[in-house]
Amino acid sequence: MASKEDDFTARLMDDMDPALLDFVKTKVNSFVKWDLVRFFHENPHTADTVENIAKYAGRNVTAVGPELDELVESGIMKKSMLGDTAIYSLETDEEMHALVDKFILACEDRHFRVKAVYHIIRGMR
Amino acid sequence: MDRIKTGITSLDEMLGGGFLRDTANLVEGAPGTGKTTLGMQFIYNGIMKDNEPGLIITFEEFPKQYYHDAAAFGWDFVGLEKKGLLKIVMTSPEVSHMDIKSVGGMIEGYVDQMDARRVVIDSISHFARLTQDPVELRGMEFDFINGLKREGLTSILTRESPVLLGESTDDSDIGFVVDSYLIMRYVEIESAIRKALLVLKMRGSDHAKDIRQYEITEYGIEVQSTFEGQEGILSGSPRRMADSFVEAFVKKN
Repeated sequence: MASKEDDFTARLMDDMDPALLDFVKTKVNSFVKWDLVRFFHENPHTADTVENIAKYAGRNVTAVGPELDELVESGIMKKSMLGDTAIYSLETDEEMHALVDKFILACEDRHFRVKAVYHIIRGMR
Repeated sequence: MDRIKTGITSLDEMLGGGFLRDTANLVEGAPGTGKTTLGMQFIYNGIMKDNEPGLIITFEEFPKQYYHDAAAFGWDFVGLEKKGLLKIVMTSPEVSHMDIKSVGGMIEGYVDQMDARRVVIDSISHFARLTQDPVELRGMEFDFINGLKREGLTSILTRESPVLLGESTDDSDIGFVVDSYLIMRYVEIESAIRKALLVLKMRGSDHAKDIRQYEITEYGIEVQSTFEGQEGILSGSPRRMADSFVEAFVKKN
């Protein structure tokens, strides 16, 4: 059972733009996804294999693969086949781009980052 | 002949007016000699002076770095991307090699969408990680270059030289596959490092044979005069020509 203190924290942390709160809870709900979204925001025309994207992100390929697939499912990333090779790139949908831009801009604020970290950790429990 | 100007006046003069259209042009140099700057300048000037959109395909350096470096020269690459005149694509040699051979691939798509006419590949040296076999490597580079030409792109392919001073010991065959071959070198003269540029080869066109000095200024690459009274420039440690030779051939002019 959650304590009163937990409820208070949860209420404080829910004080986010609803679109961004949903984005953090349902789309960028891990630190690897956060890294990947930031990477693709900064380098928007990247198109490569999971192995190379893992190298660019400085992460283990076994950690990056499933996260990339979830970003594809949530409409942030696009997966296309080149022969037998899967190539990942940023989805071209403008609405999604705008949401990613909004998230990255919001991340410049320390308070927002703290709240986003809280929701990601909470979602991992 | 249809020429594609780099927009660097003295370099275009060295090239007999610019690169020939739909050709592949190798720019080789050690780290920091300005290969990427030359490539960015070629793309920027193409957009701004000749209304020719361009692509930069990078195999190692993040696009974010290009935006930053270009801004230092006053070139707004972020703004040009927003206008659809430029795309900086990060990918790998294996993906780009497969892509250029496929129908309706990424590069083809960008060329169609943007009407891109110029491309910089930074750097072609990374193709070496695709195979240990030099014959196979030459074949892959040949496929890739032909794919770029098929798309109507005039390309600059940068190539890393591992040697800081003096001549490269790299025995790659790519010099045979490309249409022109430019070398950017560090030269030590009187305890100072200067930079030298040479057009080693230009298929189907006359070109300057002299070795010019250049600098990377706040405006990009600026090609200057030849190295008066020096010989052995490409060795990296030139020596002053014999006084009698200078008397006979240089001071007369």
